[in-house]
Amino acid sequence: MSVDTLSSGRTRRGFRDLPVPLVVIALAAFIYVTAALATGQANQISLTGLSGLLQRTVALGLVGLGQTFAILVGSIDLSVAALISTVAVLASYLMQGDAGMIVPAILACLVLALVVGVINGGLVACWGINPLIATLSTGLILQGALAAGFTYLGGRVAPEFQALAYQAPFGVPLPVLLLAVLAIVAWFVLAKTRFGAHLYAVGGNPDGAKLAGLRVERFVLAAHVIASLGACVAGLYLAARLQSGTPWIGRDGVYDLESIAIVVIGGTALSGGKGGVLGTLAGVLLFASLDASFNMFGVDAFLKQVLRGAIVIAAVAVYAVRNKGHVA
Amino acid sequence: MTAIPDTVRPSRRVSIRGLNFALLIFVVLYAMIAVLQPNYLEAGLFMNFLRRAAPLVILACGQLYVILSGGFDLSMGAVVTLVVLAASMLIGGDPAMTWPVIVALYAMGLAVGLANGAIVAFLKVPSIIATLGTMLLVNGLALAWSGGAPRGDLPDNFRNLGRLVLRDVPLVGTLPVAVIILVGATLLAGWGLHRTAYGKRLLAVGDNPRAAELAGVPVKPTRISAFVVSALAAVTAGILIGGFSGVSVNAGRGLELQAIAACVIGGAQLLGGRGSVAGALFGSLSLFALFTLLNLLGLPQALRDSLQGVILIAAVGASVLRHRRST
Amino acid sequence: MTAVLEMRGIGKAFNAVAALDAVDFDCRAGEVHVICGENGAGKSTLMKVLGGSYRPDAGEVLLDGKSVRFLHPREARAAGISIVHQELSLLPFRTVAENIFTGMEPTRWGLLDRPRMQDRARALLQRLGSAIRPDALVADLSIAEQQLVEIAKAMLVDAKVLVMDEPTAALDDRDARSLLDLVLRMKAEGVAIIYISHRMPEVMAIADRVTVLKDGRRVWTRDRADVTVNAIVTAMVGRELQDFYPARSPTAPGSPVLEVRGGGNAQLRDIDFVARAGEIVGVAGLEDSRKSVLAQALFGDAPFTAGQVRIDGQPARLRSPREAAAVGIGYLPGDRKREGIAPRQSVRDNALLTLQAMAPVLSSPQGGARSRPEVDQSLNDMDVRAGDFGQEIATLSGGNQQKAIIARWLMQEPRVFVFVEPTRGIDVAAKAAIYETMRALANSGRAIVMVSSDLPEIIGVSDRILVMHQGRIAGELPAGAEEGAVMRLALGVAAATVAGEMAS
Repeated sequence: MSVDTLSSGRTRRGFRDLPVPLVVIALAAFIYVTAALATGQANQISLTGLSGLLQRTVALGLVGLGQTFAILVGSIDLSVAALISTVAVLASYLMQGDAGMIVPAILACLVLALVVGVINGGLVACWGINPLIATLSTGLILQGALAAGFTYLGGRVAPEFQALAYQAPFGVPLPVLLLAVLAIVAWFVLAKTRFGAHLYAVGGNPDGAKLAGLRVERFVLAAHVIASLGACVAGLYLAARLQSGTPWIGRDGVYDLESIAIVVIGGTALSGGKGGVLGTLAGVLLFASLDASFNMFGVDAFLKQVLRGAIVIAAVAVYAVRNKGHVA
Repeated sequence: MTAIPDTVRPSRRVSIRGLNFALLIFVVLYAMIAVLQPNYLEAGLFMNFLRRAAPLVILACGQLYVILSGGFDLSMGAVVTLVVLAASMLIGGDPAMTWPVIVALYAMGLAVGLANGAIVAFLKVPSIIATLGTMLLVNGLALAWSGGAPRGDLPDNFRNLGRLVLRDVPLVGTLPVAVIILVGATLLAGWGLHRTAYGKRLLAVGDNPRAAELAGVPVKPTRISAFVVSALAAVTAGILIGGFSGVSVNAGRGLELQAIAACVIGGAQLLGGRGSVAGALFGSLSLFALFTLLNLLGLPQALRDSLQGVILIAAVGASVLRHRRST
Repeated sequence: MTAVLEMRGIGKAFNAVAALDAVDFDCRAGEVHVICGENGAGKSTLMKVLGGSYRPDAGEVLLDGKSVRFLHPREARAAGISIVHQELSLLPFRTVAENIFTGMEPTRWGLLDRPRMQDRARALLQRLGSAIRPDALVADLSIAEQQLVEIAKAMLVDAKVLVMDEPTAALDDRDARSLLDLVLRMKAEGVAIIYISHRMPEVMAIADRVTVLKDGRRVWTRDRADVTVNAIVTAMVGRELQDFYPARSPTAPGSPVLEVRGGGNAQLRDIDFVARAGEIVGVAGLEDSRKSVLAQALFGDAPFTAGQVRIDGQPARLRSPREAAAVGIGYLPGDRKREGIAPRQSVRDNALLTLQAMAPVLSSPQGGARSRPEVDQSLNDMDVRAGDFGQEIATLSGGNQQKAIIARWLMQEPRVFVFVEPTRGIDVAAKAAIYETMRALANSGRAIVMVSSDLPEIIGVSDRILVMHQGRIAGELPAGAEEGAVMRLALGVAAATVAGEMAS
């Protein structure tokens, strides 16, 4: 994006100067409350209801955190859905209900995610392959291998591991706490460290970053590893929650598309270099409220899919429509 | 004027080179098939091969238009599913309804294409997200409409478009109707892209939309038209698929990626500006030959996806290397 | 005085084409060493070798007498070589301070030390004589201010060698002058400054020594006292340039071709002017005068929302470039790479693009040109040099690309031709050719509007000069007006009274 076309738009002021996350959170609250009142389920507006709402944000939120990094450096990760499925299947296969295998299984999943992240990052940063195609392809490879091998990979997670997903110390569900902690870490890294500043520099202007002495490839690679790790944690969470993984949980949850959508809704630019994790959290909250509202209204599953598609387009359009340039 | 020596590099005819590359792959793969199953060299089996490859070729030609305009169309597979489900429900087994319903199917395709194009051109949503969204939307609509379990059967006159084989045709012996449609669609796509002002506009839009706009090209209509072409190609492919595979809620799953892979193997440059219909044709034939080969070798169907991923990376990666070396 | 930097026998080839051939170059502390050369002469390649972006195939680089070999820009930067890049390398959505410190952020206990970044950025900007706030977003700055941030970024490290690659290219005269003051101050501080420029007046104003490159070789290096503009230009193009600007037409301009009455939009007001057949109307103004918006308005790219436009006396609607092209307006965009060429299409298709755009969609790709030879003829008429018009246009030099775009419009036979910065980033010889083309177009009965930031060009080429100030036409001057007169109007001195009345 050119610097000079941007400067011409600076006269516009008004509600657009409000921080994006705030606006999105307000919208989410409005939708949720309206739906609860309209369907006569005012009891949803309570701590329990809220905690249920937050619980819905966890899986998508975890993927979204990782996706934020990938998008910030100007890349994108479409392999997250397949990785989530792979991790969930792998975790339940390795554990086979045995509590002693929890840690080794988690480690194995993290290593897998690391490898996938490095491959994605390597294809994009070192080989120069279009990130959409590179990550779509690694996703396909994972998905195909998973579908072919699933018959041999049955299993279920350890009950102790499963319990983690349902625990709620101090009334806050443990997974929500996990998301909160990881979000704070991610925010801290982006806002307070040199590494974070360099990610913004690489995403905002890769050539400029290189001339400023940054090794651009390493940051793109690192961002892809983080994106994969986010998907890995989400996969582990889903495995715990559902007791065992299936090869379709990632794809059925449309985590690839929806994680991109919440990142963009949160104000992170698809071209990179602008945005942050607070927006992503706001975005996931908005999606969760919409989802909860559909449930309160009793929308049928297929129709929900239609609405989701429409909402993703509409949400991205809200930002994109102001673009001056051409988009393809 | 004085002579200003320019560093003139040797000209590159990329479309030809892309074609050669894809044609070469196809010949090699088909030769491997023929080694395993020599009867694939008979005209009849080759025609049958073409018949089964026809939907993919047609999808790739449509996808090529969108890729050259700088975008992606991920909703193609969903349109195929919609076509198959809608055809079975609208026709309801009544042969007299076939032709009116086919018109209706094209109208649906037109609507999806216009919607995709309008979302990209006017709302400026990147096409990969816009068409993923419409993919969800169209798939959801098709499933909601059919209730998840398709009813109704396709009458023979509908299925014949994909299934019927004409016998005793001079020169080739047998000639499937699908192959006629394949040839017609490919020629039409090639004419539109390489023999009209429209095709040149499309390439310019994909290459540099701002420059195209300032040269007087109507960028938005051109972009929208590419999505319409792609959706209409998906309808055509859907009709053929309904013909030889029958009704299924998974009829179109994954086809959009196969079409993109075919274009890329055929030398089309992602994000626009370079590519040819001949490349897309041989790219899709290569891909289909590969699938056939894997079947013959007895590899599990599910690994198709994985293999396609490897091919996509290899094809795009090879073109990256090629261009890196030449610049 | 010994040289801080010495480059010996530098050679670099791309695809077996030599971009640099045994170039020797050196720069001393407290000296401004100017490099001149046409585009493609090897200036930028030489600086990229110095900056660590390219590795030389031959030769060596000595810094303070010691041989160095940079594998990445970061190593050059660490060694004290700072480069102000021609293309802005800034991050629009980050603050000025964050931009200045990109890649060199100070930390405290492992965390970013933002207060220190703010303070040092403020101090640096003050030293540059600027009051830009360190916490302002770069996207909110003007181009000139962004250029200053770019310089501050380069000065962050204690540079031994400071390279400035056409730093004034995007600046108007006022900002360019203050930049030159800055260069002289840096020089007084003992920095070795390498300055690349196409603008002869500034070369003569600040150079201590001048090196001319041509076709990847060094022609000569001389002290300022021993060079003249003519000598530089001669060395650059390899011949004498006598009549740089073509002679004006002896005949009086004809009837009005383009008339704008009361034109205005969000950024323009009260635009009234006429361009007649056979004349070149120059439009001058400072960077913020919105003169390029006027060009966009004439071409329907940023349409007029008020007023009336007539072409050959007929009212014309110009709501899009397409409509403008249809009523006979041609447009040469200012940013050739971003707005002019479709890089991967052939030279021929680029030249045909407007015909293809205006022809019926399903007509032949020749777009109404009757045959390929006819297309090639018009490319030859424009003297576009290419091995084969079927090759991708991106492989041509900037001047040849520019000519191909002009050819594109000539085939459409426009009545009015709007040129925006027609020679920006184009070498001297190609410039002269483009001026000649403009004059020939005017002589064939067309009206030419030329928007340019290059004052000598405005004065040398225009038959009449419109000067813009803050979105209005501040005044009109005749051919060959004084630079001072143009500047006075551009600065709004003459228009001040009018503006005062408006305010009250």
